[in-house]
Amino acid sequence: MSVKRLARLSLLTAVALIIFIVELQVPNPFPVPGVKLGLANIITVYAVYRYRAPEVAMMVGVRIVLGSVFSGNWMALLYSACGSFLCLLGMLLLRRLIDERHLWIGSVCGALLHNTGQMAAALLVTQTPSLLLYFPFLIVSGCLAGLFTGLCAQLLLPRLKRFDRE
Amino acid sequence: MKYKIIIAILAVIFAAGVIGSVLVLSAPKKNLVRIKCGEEVLYTLDLNREADRTFAVQTDSGTNLVEIKDGKIRVQSADCPDKTCVRMGWLHSAAMPIVCLPHRLVIEFVDSDGGVDAIAE
Repeated sequence: MSVKRLARLSLLTAVALIIFIVELQVPNPFPVPGVKLGLANIITVYAVYRYRAPEVAMMVGVRIVLGSVFSGNWMALLYSACGSFLCLLGMLLLRRLIDERHLWIGSVCGALLHNTGQMAAALLVTQTPSLLLYFPFLIVSGCLAGLFTGLCAQLLLPRLKRFDRE
Repeated sequence: MKYKIIIAILAVIFAAGVIGSVLVLSAPKKNLVRIKCGEEVLYTLDLNREADRTFAVQTDSGTNLVEIKDGKIRVQSADCPDKTCVRMGWLHSAAMPIVCLPHRLVIEFVDSDGGVDAIAE
């Protein structure tokens, strides 16, 4: 990997991390575990369509670990790691099926997969099947959050053309 | 064409989510409440018979201060990082337990027949 590419990836990771931390400061109006806008994923969705799979995985991995260091929520690390893993896997596969102009569809799928992964992790950790009852809320919020971040990434993509080329 | 199919599938999932949410929210409340940490049942309480009180629930990862008042139960405060359990407010639906994921703590309504065993223990 060239130094330029590495620098660009680090820059994107830093931007994602900043968005993540700013979002942490905004009180979440929905008191359901796992429901979140996930604005940092704008960067993830963008990266999925511009970078190679291992590069995106590295970016997200670093963001999750550093994110839980800064937020001090270590349990969240486990949940978001499971969610992100499933989400990335799905989005990287869907990248072949869904082109850039329909990126928001991929983002919605990604968000749904993310919430599914989180749910699976929570079920495994707490061993409480009744947690499944949150799943409908997570599906609804995942669709809406995924749509929003997807549309943001869609707007971002043409504006970052120069950044991609340099 | 393939996008229409994908969007249709997503729309169905979304609709199922909305319907599921409505069903979960409309589930009736019960009287028997169980407080669990992971698999382990810490308390089983009959809210009709409990006096108003506040007590600390210790788990390996931290403490949640649980409040019982007028036959309702909630987490009043907690030392977990996300405080979702506190913001969930009073337990109001059998289908929606209060959970504190960082502490693996669950407060949920249970059926009375399932609860008797727990009391007997």
